[in-house]
Amino acid sequence: MERRTFLKHGTAATLVGLAGCTGGDEQGTTTGSDTTTADETTTEGSETTTEATDETTTDETTTEQDLSGTLTVATYSSFVDAPSSSPGPWLKEAFEERHPDVTVEWATPDNEMNYYLQRAQQGVDIEADMFVGVNVDHLIRIDDELGDRQLFEPGASPLDNYGHVKEDLKFDPQQRAIPYDTGYISLVYDGNEADDPETFDALTTDEYAGDLIVQNARTAATGRAFLLWTIHNQGEENYLDYWEQLVDNDVTILGSWDDAYTAWENGEAPMVVSYSTDQVYANRYDQDLSKHQVGFLDGEGYANPEGMAKFADSDNDDLVAAFMDFVLSAEAQGEIAVRNVQFPATDWADLPAEFEEYAQVPDQPVTFTYEELKGNVDEWVDQWARQIVGGS
Amino acid sequence: MTRGEGLARWFERRAIAVLGVATALVLAVLFYYPVLTVFADAVRLGGAWNFEVAREVLTDPFYFGVFAPLFDGDLTAVSEIAADQPLGLVGFTAYQALLSTIASVALGLPGAYVLARYEFPGRRTIRSLTILPFVLPSIMVAIGFYAFFGANGPVNDLLAALGVGRLSMLGTLEAIVVAHAFYNAPLVTRVTTAAWESVDARMVETARSLGANPWRAFRDVLVPQLLPAVLTGALLTFVFTFMSFPIVLALGGFQLATVEVWVFSLVQQLDYAEAATLAVVETVVSLALTYAYLTYESRQSANSRAANPPPRKRFFPSVSADAGSLIAGLERAAILAYATVAAVVFVGPIASMVVESVTGPNGLTLQYYRFLVQRQVEGASFQTLPGVAVRNSLLFGAATLLVALPMGVTVSVLTARGGRWERLADTAAMAPLAVSGVVVGLGMLRGLVFGVELFGHRVQVDGPVAIVAAHAVAAYPFVVRNVSPLLGGVDRSVVESARALGATRVRALLDVELPLVAAGVAAGAAFAFAISIGEFDSTVILATGSSSYTMPVAVERYIGNRTLGPATAMGTVLLAVTSLSFVVIDRLGGRWEV
Repeated sequence: MERRTFLKHGTAATLVGLAGCTGGDEQGTTTGSDTTTADETTTEGSETTTEATDETTTDETTTEQDLSGTLTVATYSSFVDAPSSSPGPWLKEAFEERHPDVTVEWATPDNEMNYYLQRAQQGVDIEADMFVGVNVDHLIRIDDELGDRQLFEPGASPLDNYGHVKEDLKFDPQQRAIPYDTGYISLVYDGNEADDPETFDALTTDEYAGDLIVQNARTAATGRAFLLWTIHNQGEENYLDYWEQLVDNDVTILGSWDDAYTAWENGEAPMVVSYSTDQVYANRYDQDLSKHQVGFLDGEGYANPEGMAKFADSDNDDLVAAFMDFVLSAEAQGEIAVRNVQFPATDWADLPAEFEEYAQVPDQPVTFTYEELKGNVDEWVDQWARQIVGGS
Repeated sequence: MTRGEGLARWFERRAIAVLGVATALVLAVLFYYPVLTVFADAVRLGGAWNFEVAREVLTDPFYFGVFAPLFDGDLTAVSEIAADQPLGLVGFTAYQALLSTIASVALGLPGAYVLARYEFPGRRTIRSLTILPFVLPSIMVAIGFYAFFGANGPVNDLLAALGVGRLSMLGTLEAIVVAHAFYNAPLVTRVTTAAWESVDARMVETARSLGANPWRAFRDVLVPQLLPAVLTGALLTFVFTFMSFPIVLALGGFQLATVEVWVFSLVQQLDYAEAATLAVVETVVSLALTYAYLTYESRQSANSRAANPPPRKRFFPSVSADAGSLIAGLERAAILAYATVAAVVFVGPIASMVVESVTGPNGLTLQYYRFLVQRQVEGASFQTLPGVAVRNSLLFGAATLLVALPMGVTVSVLTARGGRWERLADTAAMAPLAVSGVVVGLGMLRGLVFGVELFGHRVQVDGPVAIVAAHAVAAYPFVVRNVSPLLGGVDRSVVESARALGATRVRALLDVELPLVAAGVAAGAAFAFAISIGEFDSTVILATGSSSYTMPVAVERYIGNRTLGPATAMGTVLLAVTSLSFVVIDRLGGRWEV
């Protein structure tokens, strides 16, 4: 795999594709996949003209530009604030080091994506340039609520590194959301208390009665992914029957991943729905790995890619593109994977041996596409919720 | 008379009216306006009236069980639904709230008796700390409960050692009820203790001297003086547990969902019409109960009395005293039994939280506290710093106390001696307790944080001032509920003589009435502070984009992937700071108490 060393130099190259030339005063010339730009950057209403300097890196000729201004990046709060594992501070520091005139500001409203969607609904302006942490559920909700009005705009074409994103993780047909990492939902079980159930059917047998903790599909991403996984595996017609058997077998459905993991760690039940990277954490905190076994059901794991997207209202096209390219760079992909403990979304991430050893990938990653979910997912989840609550 | 003195006199004469108007304004901006914009979603669709969603919700057996066909006017379906889902979501929510209320009163009342009637070392400190559970973030309570009552906790170890066998609390209604009692029994205790400390013992003595036995004196004289407070505690508990939400999902699970759980997930899906309809249903139930209670309260407070509690009994009597009395001995044994239960329910989970904060994967550790120190020293400005959270919590708590006390006392005075209109006003004043926290948060986000277009400007209300105002709105009903029942019992002739001697209304209030109900005011102040410290829903929303976060917000933000350690450390800091504050508030308030 080819490493593009120019990223390590002071500035990142920005390839401005044709679709990216919407910034008004910009002009760009395209030669094949390589782009040369000599342009002006408009930031916050004041114009900054920067001189283009040529630098030759590996096999391509790019024009580097000094970017300046403030880039406001919205995300969920654990991306910047959670102890020990948030990639946010590193991303800000590393990006600002490469672009000394750029300031990255994080915005972490409590309602996360809904905050911006609600602003758009109410006709209030959006004060951020891009959002990190978009998933396919968000996109469907946005499209259902806003119709033709766009909250995000397609952002892949100006990106230099988009070609490195794994094809099967690209979850947005309109290419608004650019995947940057993914998790695989799996079971995590205490190997001293239970055997790997291995199949969905085994979960409904006496051997595993009362053994499984899952999360509420209405409020927790992991719970939703697990529900979708059961629909994918059992079929749209049968999943409610399957869940009836799970409930009969005494499954516990808690509110959030934290609730479920807390209960599981305290030994309330031996199995919990979580991520297949669980052992990376367990190893990092010197925990007993026999208590942290990862189980894939029917050889599958449900993929849950996360993306980043540019707000349609933002005029900061160049900064957003530069930041996205940086996030997709080999170095940042490795850092995000390690700090967020999720898999990189690209084919070139620098991963430490620890990650390669302890993060497990299912034989058969499965997921529903945007098209499959659109128009269905709300109904699926609502019927599930009414069956669970109404049946008690 | 100088102009300044003139102004002061003018203000003194109109103070109650001015405070009343100010209270109404704060309520209108920070509560009624935001909440009503959300409630309107229940019946407004695209600018036109639309009752379709409301009708669908009310006639849906999933929500209302056997009541749904009644609302629909279709009685044929009743028997079928009665067999299938008789209670519905609303009915089940009321059922678990009722159980939780019974458990909270059962656990809280003996505590009030002990605290009010006995003298023992540490009594005042324990009284100060009773409302501590009230401020604890639900994730902390969940951690404490799992660690203490859970599969591998000390309670189960003890049960196993006794040969009883292990109990599983996971996903049970019992776990929810006990957790609700953990939160609310202290409330019952605190409210009732305040009333018990304000009883008129001379009336009991009079009854006894007229030949009543102790039991009759208790039933006919003391109980009527205490019942309003006990019912207040029960009412507040019911209202809270009726709208309980995070703890239900953390301990009980989705199968035991309450209406508020449903409202939350509907709001998450931006399904406002259905969420608003359910929230209105919650509010109607809570306010109807409040009105019923206030009707009762207004009948009770007709008999006037003075605060004149009997002397406290010593729990550790000197040897020569009544040590030989059999009844006294039995009573002491019962109190010790109660103390054991209270220790298990309250001290157990709280101590477990603290233990969790110093327990790592490999035994004892201070790493989580090191994280807090490191974050404070090295943390970036966009991160949550523990020191800032502590400072904000204390500042907001103190400010809330200063705003909520006058608001609450004003409402108490204005609605005292309630006729029907005063009762309605009093009920409306209780509304902040009766509206879904999720809906208040949504209303504040849309109405205040996003701002309103006024005269071409977008007016936004957020940041520290808005947070304090929002906390005061949430807190003042506690001041009212603690002060009103006692104020109603104050002898009117005392106040009237003060007025006849030329005292203004506010002077009579400050110099005559409030000192007589000081125990209630002190309890109200402690609640106001506690509400501010523990408030989460509106704080996170109004603190968006600023560094006005508080301790519970910090606890939530420190929940890391697969490690709750830093969150438990921050939770322990919250516990320590709050405990100290309660003791200080009580000591300061105590100087003023009779």
